[in-house]
Amino acid sequence: MSSAHLSVKDALYEAPGPKSRRAIRIATAISIVLIIALIYAIIRQFYITGQLSPKYWSFFTRWTTWRFLGAGLLGTFEAAMLSGVLALSAGFLIMLCRISTNKVLSMIGRAYIQFTRGVPTLLFIYFFFLAVPQFGLKLAAIWKIAIPVAISASGVVAEVLRNGVNAVPKGQREAALSLGMRERAVFYKVIFPQALRYVVPSLIAQLVIVVKDTTYAYIINFPDLMQNAKVLISNYDAMLSIYLVAAVIYILICYMLNKLAEHINNSTKVSVRG
Amino acid sequence: MSDTQSKQNTSSEAPVIELQHVDKYYGDLHVLKDINLSVKKGEVVVVIGPSGSGKSTLCRTINRLETIDSGCILIEGEKLPEEGAKLAELRSKVGMVFQSFNLFAHKTILDNVTMAPMNVLHKSKTEARSEAMELLSRVGVDSQASKLPSQLSGGQQQRVAIARALAMHPKAILFDEPTSALDPEMINEVLDVMTELASSGMTMVVVTHEMNFARRVADRVIFMDSGAIVEENTPEEFFTNPKNIRAQEFLKSIKTH
Repeated sequence: MSSAHLSVKDALYEAPGPKSRRAIRIATAISIVLIIALIYAIIRQFYITGQLSPKYWSFFTRWTTWRFLGAGLLGTFEAAMLSGVLALSAGFLIMLCRISTNKVLSMIGRAYIQFTRGVPTLLFIYFFFLAVPQFGLKLAAIWKIAIPVAISASGVVAEVLRNGVNAVPKGQREAALSLGMRERAVFYKVIFPQALRYVVPSLIAQLVIVVKDTTYAYIINFPDLMQNAKVLISNYDAMLSIYLVAAVIYILICYMLNKLAEHINNSTKVSVRG
Repeated sequence: MSDTQSKQNTSSEAPVIELQHVDKYYGDLHVLKDINLSVKKGEVVVVIGPSGSGKSTLCRTINRLETIDSGCILIEGEKLPEEGAKLAELRSKVGMVFQSFNLFAHKTILDNVTMAPMNVLHKSKTEARSEAMELLSRVGVDSQASKLPSQLSGGQQQRVAIARALAMHPKAILFDEPTSALDPEMINEVLDVMTELASSGMTMVVVTHEMNFARRVADRVIFMDSGAIVEENTPEEFFTNPKNIRAQEFLKSIKTH
C-alpha cells in the first residue's frame, strides 16, 4: 500500500552510494552542456537560414492570427472530445463482447480488437473520406475525422478496460455473489467501478493518442489546429515558425492531459487488502 | 399457495444445510470424497483439518463458489441449482465470511453493508441504512461507517464483513478461516463477535484453526483429511479422546507448540 508513495525509480534502483553520486553529477553536467550546445546550434542555424527574420514571426503579434489558431484549437478540442466519447462507448461494448462467456461474441470482440489495432488510423480516415460517400452516406466533416479516429482507438480502449476488469481481485466477485447478487449487478456495481479506477491513467494516455490522431483532419478539410496552421502557412509563407508554435500547443495539451492522469491516479488509488 | 405452504412445512423440518454424497475433483485430484453433512437450525459446526484437507473447498461448495462433480447440496431442503435466479436466492440465504474479508474496496463501510439488501432484497435506502447502522454497532464498528475498507484494521474489516452477511438475514453463515489473515491481537475481537452470533442461535459452519474457539462454541466438530470427513464428534470428545488416528496426530502436532 505504501507503493502509492514509491516512484518507479525507487522500485527499480537501489539508492546510489558516493561513487555513483559523483558519476551522476558528472553525467548531469555533461548533459546540460550538450543540451545548451544543441539549442545554440539550432538557433544559429535558424539565424543563418534567415528563419529568425521578422517576416516569419511578426504576424504572431496580430491577434487575428491567434484567433484563427484558437478556432483551430477549438476544432481539435471538439473532434478529440467527440472521438474520445465514441471510442470509450465502442471500446466498452467491445470489451463486454470480449469477456462474454458466449464464444461467438468473444470471437467477434477479439477479431475487432486485432483488426483495429493492426490497421493504421490513416486508412480508416481514407475509408470514411473516400469510400463511405460512395454509398451515399453524407457525413459532416467532424464525423469524418471523429469516427475513424475513434474506431482506431476503440480496440485499445477495449483491451485497457478488459485489463482493468481482470485486475479486480476475484474475492470481490465472490463476496458479491455470496450475498445473492446476480452476475449483471456484480459486474456493474462491484467489478466495473473498481476496474475503471485502475485504468483511468491508461485511458487518458489513449486520449492523448486520439488528440494527436485528429491532426489528420487536414485531409478532410476539417478546421482543426493543424488545418488552420496549414492555412496560415500558405498565407504567410512561413512554415517553420508556425509548425513550431503548433507543436508547442500540442505538447501543452498532451502535457496537461498527462498531468490530469497523474492527478486522478494519485487521488483515486483503490487499495485492496488481502 | 399450497405449493409454498408445503415447502415451508418441509423446510421447517429439513436441515438448514445438507450435503449428500458430494464429490469434487481438480483434474485427477479427488478433493472432496463422498461428503455427507447435515447442519440443523441453530447448530454450530466447526470444520478442522490439516491444510489441503479440503475443508475450505467444502465450505465454498455450500455457496457454489466451487462447483461439485456429483452428489447434491440442499439449502433448507431445496436443491442448490447450477445457475440462475434460484441459485442467487439460495446464496442470499447463506452468508459467507472470507479469510481475506473481501469488502468492496470502492465503497464505504456503510455502503458495503447496504448494497446487497438494496440490490437483492429491494429495500429502501433509508431502511437499509438504519438496519446497517444497527448491525455495525452490534459488531462495534459503527463509528467507522463513512470510511473506506482500506482505512480499517483487519479485525474491523472482518467484523464489517460479518455485518454485511447479517444484513441479508441469512439462515446460516459460512466462515472460511475468518481469522487466518489477521494479526494476533485482532483475532479475539472477531471471535467474540462470532461467539455472540452463535449464542444468538445463528446456524454456522466455521472452518478454523482456532481450537479454543472450536472447543468453546462448537456443537459438533468435523475433522477432514485428504478430502474426506474422517471424524465427526462432540468438541469435548474430539479434543480429549479423538477416535481417528490422523485426528490424534493432528491434535498432537498442534499441542507440541
